[in-house]
Amino acid sequence: MIRMSSRVRGAVTAVIASTLAVGLASCGSGSSSGGSTQTKGVTITVALFGAAPPKASMDAFTQSTGITVNWTTIDWDSLQTKIAAASTSNTYFADATDVDWSRVGQEGKLGWFLPLEKYLDANALKADMPQLTSFTYDGHIVGVPFDASYLVTTVNTEMFAKAGITTMPTTIAEYTDDLRKIKASGVAEHPLNIPFAAAEGLSTYWYETTNAFGGTILDGSGKPQFTSPDSAGYKAAQWMVDAMKSGLVPPGNINVADSQGQQTLMAKGLVASTFADYSGNVGSLYNVPASSSVVGKVQYLATPGVTGPTTNVSNPDGIGILKTAKYPQAAAKFIEWFTDGANQADFAGVNGPDKVMEGYFLPSRLSGLTTLTDKGTLVSGKELTAMLKTSQPVFPAGAPTWYPQFSNAVYTNLHAAATGSVTVDAAIKAIADTADQLSK
Amino acid sequence: MARSTTLRRPARDRAGRRGGPLPYLLVSPLAAFIVVLALVPAVYTVVEAFFRVQPLNPPVAFSGLENFKNVLSNATLQTSIGNTVLYVVIGVTASTLLAIGMAVTLQQPFRGRSVLIAILVLPWALPGVVEGIVWGSIWDSNTGLFNSILHSLHLIDNYVVFLGENRFLTILGIELVQVWQITPLSTLLILAALQQIPSDLYEAAALDGASRWKAFRRVTLPLARPGITIAMVQAVIATLNVFDQPYVLNGSAATGSTVTMQTYFVSFQNLDFGAGYALSLLVTIATVVVSLVILKLVYRAVEY
Repeated sequence: MIRMSSRVRGAVTAVIASTLAVGLASCGSGSSSGGSTQTKGVTITVALFGAAPPKASMDAFTQSTGITVNWTTIDWDSLQTKIAAASTSNTYFADATDVDWSRVGQEGKLGWFLPLEKYLDANALKADMPQLTSFTYDGHIVGVPFDASYLVTTVNTEMFAKAGITTMPTTIAEYTDDLRKIKASGVAEHPLNIPFAAAEGLSTYWYETTNAFGGTILDGSGKPQFTSPDSAGYKAAQWMVDAMKSGLVPPGNINVADSQGQQTLMAKGLVASTFADYSGNVGSLYNVPASSSVVGKVQYLATPGVTGPTTNVSNPDGIGILKTAKYPQAAAKFIEWFTDGANQADFAGVNGPDKVMEGYFLPSRLSGLTTLTDKGTLVSGKELTAMLKTSQPVFPAGAPTWYPQFSNAVYTNLHAAATGSVTVDAAIKAIADTADQLSK
Repeated sequence: MARSTTLRRPARDRAGRRGGPLPYLLVSPLAAFIVVLALVPAVYTVVEAFFRVQPLNPPVAFSGLENFKNVLSNATLQTSIGNTVLYVVIGVTASTLLAIGMAVTLQQPFRGRSVLIAILVLPWALPGVVEGIVWGSIWDSNTGLFNSILHSLHLIDNYVVFLGENRFLTILGIELVQVWQITPLSTLLILAALQQIPSDLYEAAALDGASRWKAFRRVTLPLARPGITIAMVQAVIATLNVFDQPYVLNGSAATGSTVTMQTYFVSFQNLDFGAGYALSLLVTIATVVVSLVILKLVYRAVEY
């Protein structure tokens, strides 16, 4: 690669800068540097992929703080694109926005988000939010989880019972045997839901299964830990692909994404179990008569491991303050309010439907979860709280900066192995090669 | 019998020349808009394609053709190029043939024609993502409508996996969704061309004993060429840049991924903007070249 001479570089930069200046001026946008400390009487933009909290709650926030919130809903993929585009061009896009656990390494290294420990009480957050570790990069808090998300095993107890299974499985071997029994008994032709579409949901399913087999994906330096056939990651991939080939998984799942499988298969009683399901799905999907035909039949199962129940892998979404924010202080106040335990319990329905935030799963704060459990509002609250307490980050050393590329390699290769176009061994090798190349 | 038209410079042209700066003032807002939103980004893309622009690996530096070499030697991209060629061939052929058939049908006066044209435009007006979601429930291999119909008609014993398994079937299934989207515009473009054909040409053909099929081949098709050309070019642009439908219907799987999807992944997942600019530039060049070939092969000037 040739480094450009300063004269040439200067000329090119001048041309681009002048043309861009015309564009930016005419578009009325502007880059931000620093941001205001003002909080009273300001309007901040919050861009997230879900619906806004109820209007009454937002109005109450405005009344108590003087901050008006302009909530913009943007789908997850587009949101990541906008964050990247705005941050690289140093242009204002929103004050607070999504920080996905998988992007923490990348966004942390690039410094796209302000360190939240400067704005919030980090120690108080750590004590009440087990998943905060997933949002820490180089000692800085890049985002705060607003919604607890971790992968759980769900089972349709009625289907298990119909197949003559009276004791729920505690190990992955027992779990597999039970699925075979369900298939053999004809209760379900294909009892297991694995979303094999080449999308992020397949990667996270593999991470959870690898965790169940007692291993991790990468070590602290980004080296793959799944290349040996004896490793947990290899066994997990083999188990998933074997499940597909042996007919435990519906053949059509080759092109089914995670949420799609939950909604069209698990919620309709077409499969008996999802090994890596969304936490909160029992209350928010399977027990909702409008979207489910298995109301009251699906329960969480302590994730079956090698010798007994094991921990869960967490994949939470967080909220952070962009470095180009106009009002970082006001955005911090909003985050404080948005992730407050009592408010989270409200969003999850503890005080009736008026305060429910559409699409909100579970509080990320233990205090919020405890409130819901104590009031009996949350289905399997005690189990979910216990799982949240012990949930593990996918990458204990933090998501690598190159995670999106790695995940792309994971889901495209596992998908290819499920279609039979490559072997599990070849898929694992391709994923490992990608990790090796990226971690250099 | 062909009608001849005397070509005369329109009066408004002469007036325009006398109009001083007014015509320029009138078009200047639009011109500025195009310069800012199309020309500036285009120039920026061309320039940056020759630079290493990787926020995770600074600084920005001139890299000559390295971005092009890297992207073209990437096996995933090579698969995506092959897929994209299939999308273009299937999409342009199917949408053009369908549009010609629909335009010829709609050219005939019949009751409810206007309503039908209005309904016809609907798929074109829908966003690609929405179409992907709608068609996802049709192609779904576990619970999809198409499988259900085939099963009900006893044409299949077990549900068929349409997308994600077989490369050609996947691309065909996805491209049919895009054809459903782009055919309405192609139809309208060709219909506009058909409506320019003087009816006395058909009368003359009938007097000469030409059958309807012969009149279609000898009169309709040759004179509709300008409209067909524009329809094909817009189909080329749409199919070469297809993103929404394969992304929604087939995720990132190699069985259906496209060059535009790779551009997105390279730019916004890998944060290698230089390579993304290079890919964008290559897609633009391919679009221009294919469009010019179509112009050369299909377009013929028509005068009445």
